[in-house]
Amino acid sequence: MAMLEVNNITVSYGNDPAVRNFSMTLEEGKICSLVGESGSGKTTVIRAIFGLLPGGGKVTAGDIYFEGNHLLTYDKKQWRKIRGTEMSMIFQDTGAMMNPTRKVGAAYAEYIRTHEKISGAEAARKGIAMLERMRLPSGDNVMQSYPFQLSGGMRQRVGIAMGMTYQPKLLLADEPTSALDVTTQAQIVRQMMELKENYGTSIILVTHNLGIAAYMADHIIVMKDGVIEDQGDRNHILYHSENAYTHKLLDAVPSIGGTRYV
Amino acid sequence: MFDEKDVILDARHITKRFPASKGRQLTACNDVNLKFYKGKTLGLVGESGCGKTTFMRLLVSLDTPDEGEILYRGVDISKLKGEKLRQNRQNIQMVFQDPATCFNPKMKIRDILCEPLLNFDRIRKSEKSAKARELLEMVELPGDFEDRYMHNMSGGQRQRVGIARALALEPEIIVMDEATSALDVSVQKTIIELITRLQREKGITIGFICHDLGLIQSFSHQVAVMYLGNIVEVMPGEGIGEQCRHPYSQALLASVFDIRMDFTKKIESIESEIPSPLDMPKGCPFSDRCGKCMNVCKKERPLLKETAPGHEVACWLYE
Repeated sequence: MAMLEVNNITVSYGNDPAVRNFSMTLEEGKICSLVGESGSGKTTVIRAIFGLLPGGGKVTAGDIYFEGNHLLTYDKKQWRKIRGTEMSMIFQDTGAMMNPTRKVGAAYAEYIRTHEKISGAEAARKGIAMLERMRLPSGDNVMQSYPFQLSGGMRQRVGIAMGMTYQPKLLLADEPTSALDVTTQAQIVRQMMELKENYGTSIILVTHNLGIAAYMADHIIVMKDGVIEDQGDRNHILYHSENAYTHKLLDAVPSIGGTRYV
Repeated sequence: MFDEKDVILDARHITKRFPASKGRQLTACNDVNLKFYKGKTLGLVGESGCGKTTFMRLLVSLDTPDEGEILYRGVDISKLKGEKLRQNRQNIQMVFQDPATCFNPKMKIRDILCEPLLNFDRIRKSEKSAKARELLEMVELPGDFEDRYMHNMSGGQRQRVGIARALALEPEIIVMDEATSALDVSVQKTIIELITRLQREKGITIGFICHDLGLIQSFSHQVAVMYLGNIVEVMPGEGIGEQCRHPYSQALLASVFDIRMDFTKKIESIESEIPSPLDMPKGCPFSDRCGKCMNVCKKERPLLKETAPGHEVACWLYE
């Protein structure tokens, strides 16, 4: 059985389904990318997998299996056990996720101590080690900073370090590079590829950047208005797809040496 | 390709400093020289914090430079004051990154569009509705939208309103600050098509700030690359993939994920963070991140030098 299996789920906020009949499977050490425009339901899907649908959101049909366990039957306690250890999530802007009035170190140590019973000093050491593994120089300094004192790329690395602390099998990344400059974006992409290579982490990557999706993903799912419009590997999506919407999306991507309007 | 007599806006030796803590100074723009040509687009690329927005804000007189002059048709607009400054605003207008936050949410689209026209007595109040419809149709929106509010529109529609408002006064120059980065790619494409069409029809000069090289090369006549307040390269917009010569421009280019790229290649990007503009390297601003750094780079700042027609590079490699 695949590590993650999503069978025909429908997710609704109130009465309106935001995602309909969505299915996917993900094997260990693979990267799957969800692409599509805003409002196409990409984020809703990964939030459903993570059990973190915002207020009123509910999976009304279908099942989600993670390592053979039926996730939709999980209660709060069971969720708390697997979130952060078995699967974790990185958000678009880690800075916005963290408490702005607390230092990174305090937030990180708290995060570690909710998962294991260790002393604050040990948790801090563990955090620093993890930050350094994620190529953040002087982890010490980072732990002593407030989120706003770090650059966007550094904040995002803190988010990745936090998510990877327990080497989860599945990493859900919600537009992890959209708020970053191209150079920083390339650094973060490289880092995520290293996670896959070094730790065998499977990643579901939500992005609207088709270039990044094509570069990173083994499988690409194109979504539109809450349904899967097209899917396949890079070759299929970029060169052999016959889907009109996929073509429209690809056409719209500005490309060096591509269409010029002047 | 560019004719000196078509220069419409000429920024000469612009320097802008901001006071920072402990009596230090942050140089946001350092001796920037750029020319805008009639009916052409100048794209300005660079990472966040490199001074792109500061420079464009100086152009639209939202701030004044500490040194240098900005000549609009021969008149230095950076020294204008009072009524003259106000009148000059009709010539240069701006489109902002997020149209949802730069307009008053309690105003109807009609009032947003006609406010500048009323301010300059270009129309009477009774003509508002007709003018608003005309402007909306210009940006390919239904005229009925005049009764809507900003929050009733999608991101792409809002940006169209932003463009319509900037064009309401029929300025010769518009400055667009990351005007498409909040939009989906397909919407971005339609906005770019709209801008280029309007440019052709009205001969508007555009200054476009962006950090996406792929996007900027698709519609710019001229591309300037900025790094830590310095312009490091100015080149024609066509074929920047092969043409760019400055190590920083090449690094920017190498960081772009393109659907036409070679997917087997390793991503090469500059690993380090941008140094703080408060303690700039003494020589070339890029020297401490540059893979080709030589001795001279650490000592002296290279100046822009023409290497080909319309192509200037500030790098010791090409001296």
